[in-house]
Amino acid sequence: MARIKWRKWNNILHRDIGYLAVGLTIIYAISGIAVNHVDQWNPNYSIVRESFRIRPVTATDKQQIVDQILTDLKIPTQPESTFRPTADRIQLFYTNLKIEVNLQTGSGFKEETKEKPLLYEFNYLHLNHAKKLWTYFADLYAVALLFLAISGIFVLKGRKGFAGRGKWLVGLGIVIPIAFLIAYL
Amino acid sequence: MRAHKLTTLFIFLLTAGLLFASNDYSKWKSLGKPITIKKVTKISTILANPDTWVGKTVLVKGRVVDVCKKRGCWMEIASDKDFQTIKVKVKDGEIVFPLKARGKMAVVQGVVEKLNISREQWIKHLAKEAKEEGKTFNPDSVKAGIIIYRLKGIGAKIDM
Repeated sequence: MARIKWRKWNNILHRDIGYLAVGLTIIYAISGIAVNHVDQWNPNYSIVRESFRIRPVTATDKQQIVDQILTDLKIPTQPESTFRPTADRIQLFYTNLKIEVNLQTGSGFKEETKEKPLLYEFNYLHLNHAKKLWTYFADLYAVALLFLAISGIFVLKGRKGFAGRGKWLVGLGIVIPIAFLIAYL
Repeated sequence: MRAHKLTTLFIFLLTAGLLFASNDYSKWKSLGKPITIKKVTKISTILANPDTWVGKTVLVKGRVVDVCKKRGCWMEIASDKDFQTIKVKVKDGEIVFPLKARGKMAVVQGVVEKLNISREQWIKHLAKEAKEEGKTFNPDSVKAGIIIYRLKGIGAKIDM
């Protein structure tokens, strides 16, 4: 009976699935670092807020209020929409821009938001914002990673393989996260 | 005769316009689960007597006036009544409300919930908000906890 060359097939699949996984692994790794630090920064948007002070707004009609603010801020276009959160404040909305003004004091701010190029898209995929079919594709990628992890153990034989130094490094890779769990959980 | 035809045409066009304009969210961006409720409940109606709405699933409509900047896990919808809003909250990742939804019209289906926030929790929340916005905050200004009514979001459609 012919011997099944399992290691040969293990290595072929490890290599080829490895190639397929390169793109998504880079995306997930970069996004992973970005969202890991979500407490220190915004991984999706750059948000720039600029304060200003204009004349107190004395108009009472909504359109006149908006027109006075736009004149003082030298903004030529009308907002897409407006909202009064309180009697003395108004918010003006444009695409990627929010302006808020205290009508009594004239103080306010402009807040411009921009999606961080590439990072926004990477996070969109990594965090499964897309849902639908992407969910299943991401599951498939996870299965591929699992395969790569396990098949990687058997790529080499001998002293450089799992029977040699491999078992210690695999063991270390398992012990370290367990140590963190014991310390923090 | 001509006036009669013009009147008929006008009424037809007006009716057609109203039919096509009403409740057509089909082209709006969908988030979360599909919306199943047809009738919109005014936010002002819910907030006028909120305890009677707790636990009920409703469909509300309004302009998005704020969105969680970090995780998109909540958005604030303007009421039909001045100076009034309601917050729609979801679990992180369940729905991610995009920041560019600000200023856009939305319909949201969700369950009305009531939160009893203790003074300590409220101070913690306000302190965090102030830090994010670069403002100062005095904890002594908070005398007591508060009750918040909000929607636990199930699905939404946003005109974007």
